[in-house]
Amino acid sequence: MFGNQHRFTRGWWFIAPGLIMMIMIVGAPLAMGFRLSLHDVFLYDFRNQFYVGLENYRYAFQDPLYILSLKTTAIFTLGCLVLAVGFGIIITFLLNSKLVRFRSTWIALFLIPFVMTPVVGGIAWRLFIWQQEFGLLNQVTGLFGLPQPYWLLDRETALIATIISNSWQLTPLAILVFYAALTTIPEDLYEAARMDGASATRTLWSVILPQMGPHILFVSIIVITSAFREFDMIMALTGGGPGRSTTVLSVFAYNRGIANQDMGMANTVAFTMFIIMATFAWVYITLYRKLEARTQ
Amino acid sequence: MSTKVKGSMHTRTTVWGLHAALFIWLILALAPPIMLLAASLNETALFRSPWDLLLLKDFSLNNFRVAFDRGDFWFFFQNSLIISTSAVIITLVVCVPLAYGLNKISPRQKAVVSFGVLAMRFVPYVVLALPMFLLFVQLGLSGSRVGLLLAHLSIHIPFATWMLVGFFEGVPKELEEAGIVDGCSPWRLFWNVSLPVVRSGITALAILVFIISWNEYLFALFLAGSDAQPLTIGITRFLGGAEIGAQYGVIAAYSVLIVAPVIFFALVANRYIVSGMTAGAVKG
Repeated sequence: MFGNQHRFTRGWWFIAPGLIMMIMIVGAPLAMGFRLSLHDVFLYDFRNQFYVGLENYRYAFQDPLYILSLKTTAIFTLGCLVLAVGFGIIITFLLNSKLVRFRSTWIALFLIPFVMTPVVGGIAWRLFIWQQEFGLLNQVTGLFGLPQPYWLLDRETALIATIISNSWQLTPLAILVFYAALTTIPEDLYEAARMDGASATRTLWSVILPQMGPHILFVSIIVITSAFREFDMIMALTGGGPGRSTTVLSVFAYNRGIANQDMGMANTVAFTMFIIMATFAWVYITLYRKLEARTQ
Repeated sequence: MSTKVKGSMHTRTTVWGLHAALFIWLILALAPPIMLLAASLNETALFRSPWDLLLLKDFSLNNFRVAFDRGDFWFFFQNSLIISTSAVIITLVVCVPLAYGLNKISPRQKAVVSFGVLAMRFVPYVVLALPMFLLFVQLGLSGSRVGLLLAHLSIHIPFATWMLVGFFEGVPKELEEAGIVDGCSPWRLFWNVSLPVVRSGITALAILVFIISWNEYLFALFLAGSDAQPLTIGITRFLGGAEIGAQYGVIAAYSVLIVAPVIFFALVANRYIVSGMTAGAVKG
């Protein structure tokens, strides 16, 4: 009867204002960023813009510092992905047990790192956890006679320390999503597995994980996009140092654009980030549709 | 009988093990905020062992006084509050109709627009912040709250739309059909029929948008100038040479003041935050 319901609802009237605003606020800077990446522009004289075509891009890919930053970003992103998804799964399975009491309280408390201001979280980790003498971590390792590295001040350990701090912030998201997903698995699926005499591990592999597939993918993408563009936490922890050991692409672009005033190059770096993320978005949407088709 | 006793013993060990494991995770998760709180409540926090700090051996509220007096706390607080609140209001006014409308156009049109919205969600912030820096200089918006607010909206609008579409999809079709039969106008269908159903989703969104704006640092660093600086910039003025002579206690007090509202939300309104964060996930 109402197959053509949108005749009655005038959908586009509701969409238009927001869509136009979004295109103006996101689309315009994006287009301008791309245009700037094709020019030589310096902040102190930004009205003088020389068109150089793709020269900035060619320069970036030949710049060892850009390549280093790209590698650092890849390690940082992958590290956060493994830690956040891994711990997310472990904690969710612990939490999902029928024997756990006060589940909503646990979840509320686990949520705190996720909502904490990243800059403040970074400061807390830097001053009170990683600090080499009086930081909590080295105080504890000291009790057990373990080594007490300089963490954020050492090129060897700074990156892993920033990965851990950032994962601390992202893991609650994984826990929330996985937990919500687990509760939507119908009880009779477990029942059927039990009737077939499946062991707990077998149930996990053959019943739970396939159902969780789209959710693990969803969390992975959120973690990847978030870690890939991370700026706040790294600036608060190390500012990109020591040396360049934690200079991820966001920090690199900031240094180029604001500190070195080289807006053309900074926008080039940023735009390569955009291209990488756009590719991810495309892969995600394709995969998600496939996975969803399979679970339905 | 004997198997039953054995079973319950087994269960009891498991219960203890489970809770112990969760408790260890809780300590890891809460160590940074707890250390902040402890340090803020000690007169001197520099070069003190964490155990002394946690036991409040040198208890004092002086750090908070210094943070308020010397840190221009209210100036930054005002900027943070005005920007975050305006961001919530504008995001709701713009995105609620947008998301509603998306479910009211043909599936093919919806797929195209949703793809655009989703794609914008993936844009790294620095990609927008750099050109905005120049754009705002040209438009006379640099260093203004309006400029910073626009920058925040560039994150909020794609995020909010994408989340709300899921909520509106949950509105029962029968409800709307009944509305059409009753001769509701398009506006009344939206305002009186659909909107009440998604009310809790909108609350969730408002809280999340507020938190994201309150926590934001990157855009503020690029665009705030000196007049529109929020709290996340305010705290960095204490960090100069943090490792040498800075007052850890004051930094900690300032940090506690910044995160107090968001932690309050996490504890009091966590039901909404959870439903908001998982909406996109579980619905797809």
